[in-house]
Amino acid sequence: MEAQYSFFLDIEPYLNPMLRKRPFALNLSLLLISFLFSIALGAVFIPPQTILRILAAQLPGFNIMPDWSNSFAAIILAIRLPHTILVALTGAALASSGAAYQGLFRNPLADPYLIGVASGAGLGAVFAMSIHWPNNMLGFYLVPIGAFIGAILTVVLVYNLARVNGLVPLTTLILAGVAVGAFASALTSYLMLRSDLQLHRAISFLLGGSPMTGWNPVKAALPYMVIGMGLLSLSGHMLNVLQFGEEEAKQMGLSVNWAKIFIIIVASLTTAVAVAFSGVIGFIGLVVPHMIRIIWGPDYRRLIPLSILGGASALLMADMLARILLAPSSLPVGIVTALAGAPFFLWILRRAKREVFW
Amino acid sequence: MLKIESLTVAYGSKTVLHNISFDVQPGEIVALIGPNGAGKSTLIRAISGVIPIKSGDIFSNGENLANLTTQERAKILSVVPQARQLGGAFSVEQAVMMGRTPYLNWLGKESDADKAAVKLVLQQTSLEKFAERPIAQLSGGEQQRVLLARALAQSTPILLLDEPTNHLDLQHQTNLLSIVKRLAKEKNLTVLVAMHDLNLVSFFADKVALLADGNMQSIGTPQEVIRAEHISAVYQTPVEIINHPLTGAPIIFPQGVLGKGEG
Repeated sequence: MEAQYSFFLDIEPYLNPMLRKRPFALNLSLLLISFLFSIALGAVFIPPQTILRILAAQLPGFNIMPDWSNSFAAIILAIRLPHTILVALTGAALASSGAAYQGLFRNPLADPYLIGVASGAGLGAVFAMSIHWPNNMLGFYLVPIGAFIGAILTVVLVYNLARVNGLVPLTTLILAGVAVGAFASALTSYLMLRSDLQLHRAISFLLGGSPMTGWNPVKAALPYMVIGMGLLSLSGHMLNVLQFGEEEAKQMGLSVNWAKIFIIIVASLTTAVAVAFSGVIGFIGLVVPHMIRIIWGPDYRRLIPLSILGGASALLMADMLARILLAPSSLPVGIVTALAGAPFFLWILRRAKREVFW
Repeated sequence: MLKIESLTVAYGSKTVLHNISFDVQPGEIVALIGPNGAGKSTLIRAISGVIPIKSGDIFSNGENLANLTTQERAKILSVVPQARQLGGAFSVEQAVMMGRTPYLNWLGKESDADKAAVKLVLQQTSLEKFAERPIAQLSGGEQQRVLLARALAQSTPILLLDEPTNHLDLQHQTNLLSIVKRLAKEKNLTVLVAMHDLNLVSFFADKVALLADGNMQSIGTPQEVIRAEHISAVYQTPVEIINHPLTGAPIIFPQGVLGKGEG
């Protein structure tokens, strides 16, 4: 028997039909609300309507008389807006690549963090930083490339270690992911300890899962993210067909090897860019696709775009919690996602044990 | 029509199919029989292109399948896999629509023609009433009809079935096979099916191909192939064969069951 787990069919009857009908509208509204509140929250609360006016004033064609203090505009434009955009992009990237890895491995517990890819990307990012510190735009563009190489090497290694008779069972996948991830994290710590103070600080942020500040990371991440998530959104049909197993997918006319290589490259790129600028953040890639699958079904053509929207909202909410819980200081957002995600992981594990296999 | 010429398949240094040649005409159902490990599934998989062949050729209407892309091959040849427990929350309709993959672009956008094809196939396999149901909620026999429907949705002239009725009860076995038989005649399909139950084979198939240790022992009508001396030798079990009083189809009784022993 092949080890594919079916997904929580029994929850379906309890869902509100209104909720099911408009998935994109609902997720988009949720994202806009989270986005606005993420900018509003902080040491000073800035009312959402002021935020909208300040943002609109930046756009050409809007003639808005400033009735806000200059410090509000400075806080929003220099600090909170880039932070919020980076957090949203990171959540979107982790959730969509998590959904793609789950489809590729046909395993509900595949998450960029749990299968070690995020740690591998972290190692690659730190390695790139130790060669060329990102004090200019070139440095910023190099970090995701290092992270990408680290991610690809990790995913190929974990995939081959975990593969048993052409399948990737849950146990071997997680064990291989944990082992390779631990190895990558240890190497990362080694690089950190032998580095100078500036790098030392950067890496400890990275390991804890804290997004970088300012506009440079946003500018560097955006092109990779748009390409990565755009291509992931287009791979839904391939992922659907792969759910029947590689042999049957081929008999149905899918070029399986090309599809796998494509998905691995694109998902790893997307993960790597998120890790390069926001650090190692776990469980978003696990929790978000699952929630969406439960509510809106298993069709990857919808699942991936919805995971992009849902992942952005989820990480924005986790990030707001991270900033509120210990205010005025803030927690690394990776701690919040782990606190919320680990129990969820155990819940899925419990369910997966008694679900029917392919 | 499907034509196999001198097909040899090896796993590493172990040859599992030796120089197999035969053909299947349109509208004809050929059943592959043979003991476990004889190479039935290997032959089906080799023809479908998922395992490499060492030598030999496979032709469909004179076209060598080796020259086709995966997508082109999937428009000529579809496969119903072995019955198994299906999981996953895809609906029956979604699963059958995936049979349209060779006609979809890589985004998987389905056209009205694809939707019409799926609707027709759901009717032919009596699955319309399950269209919206997740496949995991269906019984084993219904799930196997979904896999048949998915293969039919590929609209191929050649249909391969790999022990499609294993683990199914009598009702679902005959139900599935009668759908295949009806469509094979109606749509002039070329059908090759690996099967275990020799009594079902003799009622269902137009021709029977007997495989043993990767060799083609004999091929012909059920009366020609399902004969006591062939079956006893290949299955290493003495059998007795009588013919059905109305159809003449051979019916097999292992002698052990009749109390005559091997002795």
